[in-house]
Amino acid sequence: MDSAPDAAFAAGRERRRVARQARFVVVLRGALSAAAIVGFALWAHFGSGRPVFSPHSKPEAGWEAFREAYGVDTFGRDGYFVRAVQNGYNLVHHTHRYAWRFTRKGALDHPNACIDCHSAEALAYAFASGDRFDARLGRRVSFEEHVKRCYATHLDGFVPTIYDPAVRDIRIFARMVAHHMQLGEGAEVGTP
Amino acid sequence: MKPFALGWGKAVRLALLVGALLALYVLAVARHDERARIREQPVTLTPGCEEKLARYGLAAGSGYASPYTLARSGQARVKRGYSAEDVRAIQRGCNIIDDLQGQLAADPSRERWNSTRFVRGTHTSCDHCHQGIGDKQTAAGVAQTGSLSLAASWVMADMYDQFTGILLPYELRQMQCYINSSNGYKPNVADDLIRDVTAYSRFLAAALDLRFGNHYAEQGIDEVTAASTLKRGDDYVRGAALYKEKCARCHGPQGLGTVVDGKALYPAVAGPNAFNQQSRNNFSFVSTILPGFLCRNMPLGEEGTLTNQDCRDIGFYVSNMPRPAGDKDGPLAALWHQLMMRVMPTLIHTIETWQRPEVTQESGT
Repeated sequence: MDSAPDAAFAAGRERRRVARQARFVVVLRGALSAAAIVGFALWAHFGSGRPVFSPHSKPEAGWEAFREAYGVDTFGRDGYFVRAVQNGYNLVHHTHRYAWRFTRKGALDHPNACIDCHSAEALAYAFASGDRFDARLGRRVSFEEHVKRCYATHLDGFVPTIYDPAVRDIRIFARMVAHHMQLGEGAEVGTP
Repeated sequence: MKPFALGWGKAVRLALLVGALLALYVLAVARHDERARIREQPVTLTPGCEEKLARYGLAAGSGYASPYTLARSGQARVKRGYSAEDVRAIQRGCNIIDDLQGQLAADPSRERWNSTRFVRGTHTSCDHCHQGIGDKQTAAGVAQTGSLSLAASWVMADMYDQFTGILLPYELRQMQCYINSSNGYKPNVADDLIRDVTAYSRFLAAALDLRFGNHYAEQGIDEVTAASTLKRGDDYVRGAALYKEKCARCHGPQGLGTVVDGKALYPAVAGPNAFNQQSRNNFSFVSTILPGFLCRNMPLGEEGTLTNQDCRDIGFYVSNMPRPAGDKDGPLAALWHQLMMRVMPTLIHTIETWQRPEVTQESGT
């Protein structure tokens, strides 16, 4: 008769212990998950060095010289537009690294970048006189569509969407070069 | 017999499904072919476009030299010419700007593509804001400061836009016009409706010899900030009085516009045919743009007569009239605004006529 309260007390204590343990597991899991997310975010921002996790483009060799020569700073030392121009510079000069999703070309292939076929000035002229009827294709073809076709054909890859930075930033790069050269709409090679 | 019947049932359902898909495919191909035929058809220009494109010397050829640039600088700068297809695209783009909903067209759905699919209401036209068919000039032929020039916008496209938080391409900016200024829907970026307007804007930039990345005074609106006033505060009541005096004779006492023979002679600035809450024209959203537009362009024939404070007061008043909810306002707000648009005009009319029976004629739409 006396052992019943003891057993109930022990069972209650056991239930509380199990509940405490369950709470601890839940809290520990949550804390670990939060720590993993925070750790990943910190690593991505400060430790990874991967361009995809950074709002800044990696300054490739030649960027500072280009920036100086083409007066990129007329649009500000930093800003969305300048960062897009810099990403455009990286895309044009190192396409196989910065647009690897859209090309099968590797470091040892040639050509493996837009600059292997088109100079910055040529891109600016193509942009300024683009969006015209192409008799071969039977329709008007925009600058962006030309870029997409380059990815698919000359760069032996895949077609990005028109909104993809791999297309947009090349257009913005060409627009900046066109500004530096003071090109007007419809400018042909050698003319303003 | 039972398995056989079941098999037939499945086969019939499958055939119906395949048939429906085939019908959709055939419809899409037919629509595609029709668009291709429209692109090849000669374009009937609106009177405004006929005059403007002739003045800028649009013609097919291997080179293009703008008469406008020649007259102003004395130099004929030859640019890349336009094929017959390009010329038609530019002409269609001009027509879209001048007469978005095809009120001057014999067959609006063909001549203005499917523009009415992307706007709500019957009043909207690009030319209401982008006056002078996107290229408003003074009598001397000088581009007017802050006139929302399409050409200047094209050469300065792709810049950071604080309202959307993105580098805004020209095509996406057009989409915003459809969504908010026209209170409608977003066309596809590759839709002819968008591409033809881009072609026309690019032609204007060539005709005016604008250079990429340069800022021109005609770009955007000549915004009127509070700092440009005596800072007496934007006054709704003062705005109401000014509106009645200066604006109501065209836009109506309640801003619902003037329609004659089914054509919007003066567009609505309130109610279901007007720009919505998320439009940059809405003073409550951006307080400098509508006053800037008013000071530059209104009242028609008396431009430049309003002071900066007048324009801000009128802008404040106009933006408090009932209008459609914006695309980011959510369904409840949309419902509320629909209710207001339907109830308020009648209510105001009833109260005003009850209080002052002599103003019966003034408080209609």
